[in-house]
Amino acid sequence: MTAVAAKPAAGAAMNPTAMAIGLVLMLVIIGACWKIAPGLGLMALIGMIIGGVLIGFGTHFVPVGGAPAAMGQAPGIATGVPMLAAGAGLAGLFGGAWAAEQGLVVAVVTGAVGGGLMMAITCMMVSFIYVFGMGIPAASGKVKVDPITGDTQPEFKSQGTEGHGLPFTSFVGGIIGGFLAGGGGTLIYLMLLDLYKATLPGMMNATESQIMPIAISAAGIFAVGMFLVNAVLTAYNITGTIEGPHDPKFKRWPRAVVASAVASALCGFVAILIVVM
Amino acid sequence: MTVKIEVVAGGIPHTKIMVAGLLASLVCLYLSYLNVVTKTEMFSFFGGLAVVAALLWGSHTIKVLCSYGIGTGVPSAGMIAFGSGVIGMLLATKFGIAAPIVALVLAAVIGLIIGYLSNDVLNMKIPTMVKSLTELAVVGAFTLMGFAVLMTGSFTFANLTSGSVTFLGQVMPSFQVSFIGGSLIATAFMLGAIAIQHPFNACLGPGWTQDRMLMLAAECGFLSMIVAAFMSFALITSGSALISLIVALVGWGYTYSEYMKLGKRDAAAWLDSKPIPDVEEH
Repeated sequence: MTAVAAKPAAGAAMNPTAMAIGLVLMLVIIGACWKIAPGLGLMALIGMIIGGVLIGFGTHFVPVGGAPAAMGQAPGIATGVPMLAAGAGLAGLFGGAWAAEQGLVVAVVTGAVGGGLMMAITCMMVSFIYVFGMGIPAASGKVKVDPITGDTQPEFKSQGTEGHGLPFTSFVGGIIGGFLAGGGGTLIYLMLLDLYKATLPGMMNATESQIMPIAISAAGIFAVGMFLVNAVLTAYNITGTIEGPHDPKFKRWPRAVVASAVASALCGFVAILIVVM
Repeated sequence: MTVKIEVVAGGIPHTKIMVAGLLASLVCLYLSYLNVVTKTEMFSFFGGLAVVAALLWGSHTIKVLCSYGIGTGVPSAGMIAFGSGVIGMLLATKFGIAAPIVALVLAAVIGLIIGYLSNDVLNMKIPTMVKSLTELAVVGAFTLMGFAVLMTGSFTFANLTSGSVTFLGQVMPSFQVSFIGGSLIATAFMLGAIAIQHPFNACLGPGWTQDRMLMLAAECGFLSMIVAAFMSFALITSGSALISLIVALVGWGYTYSEYMKLGKRDAAAWLDSKPIPDVEEH
């Protein structure tokens, strides 16, 4: 047997002690940030934590099927969480980055719409391929009745599979997930961009227009890095595949929210240190 | 109750690879400091060699981690390695000559905390999770620093953010023509992230052999180095970039032919077919 065939063994249980330690760690980091860079830095850190939590929470909505979905043996989009989250979130991030000059709210909403749109297109094309290319109907293996449309599922499910295709609830979940993740990624980018725009000119003895390439590029690569960290942590939480918001695995989200918040606080703090040290 | 599926049977033990990879990339990164000593950019190719050493170590770490069923596919490990590595690496560049050491410490701390989060908060309960993610973050940071050295000849923040353009015979400073300002770092990120996860992703299975996977890792590293060497023409002198390119091409040619030999050795059967078969005349 190889690693791919192995079923993940991580349970659904919460670990309250570890979560408490994580939250304390986050508070320590926020405290350190308040000490070193009050004002703009602290605000940026809080924004990045919110963004990270949005990514972590949003990724749970995305129907991830992985390799079983590619073989028509599990519902969802046939690839892994990092790829899907990167696709939707980065599409949103780029969309939001274009609108960065129009203020926080417009840019974050643009990013969210970009991410949601990307997921909507992906889900639609995936459904086309499943239905017309592979010839399989959409059927959920986790619920008897689709929570939104009320369609029954077991009649369409092939024996020996966990369901297949992309049920309607998964489709909607994908769009919600892309919306949240795209907005979160854009929020991280905007927070860092504002901070860098304000601090880099003094640090490098240059005008704001001169340092713009540095600010945009550094904020962008930090946002990508934090995005991937949060997406992979969520992937570890749902151990590979999830059907969407109706999947029992969805109930694990509190763990991912805590982990994403701590990881974003840590990474964000390091990203802030680069300009205040 | 995680079950380990594959054991490292025979071959070089992981600790040895880790120590060798760590030392080799650190030494190579510091050898690039000859650029400052000799006031040239000829030694930038040591950055590429640091990349290869770090990738060899990283691909074996991914093998150790992914032997436990983590359920998310191998590429996720490469992504989290570089996601956490880039953050440590960028801050470390501000420490001047100490940058590689600081990158090591900083990335290890970030990796340790992320490893703790995945193992305990997310309840993965995989014995090597914390250690592996710590290693992967360091590998990510070293690989990116190696690419930075390869493309710019330096690993300090000031040199990574400023370059110069020649316009009508005049040399003007520009922040845009630089490793960070020109977003070359994003390309380096993906070059490394794909190169680190590909070897195990391609070689896993019952027929996995250590030497074949490590050779593929070196091949991926040199292949990325070729692309990065091309990019370095924009930032360092053409002669120095040419040296990097030649080193990369020679390294890639050697590792590729060796990998093909190992692939033929491990294959059940081998048929040399041509891309376009000869059409017989009727």
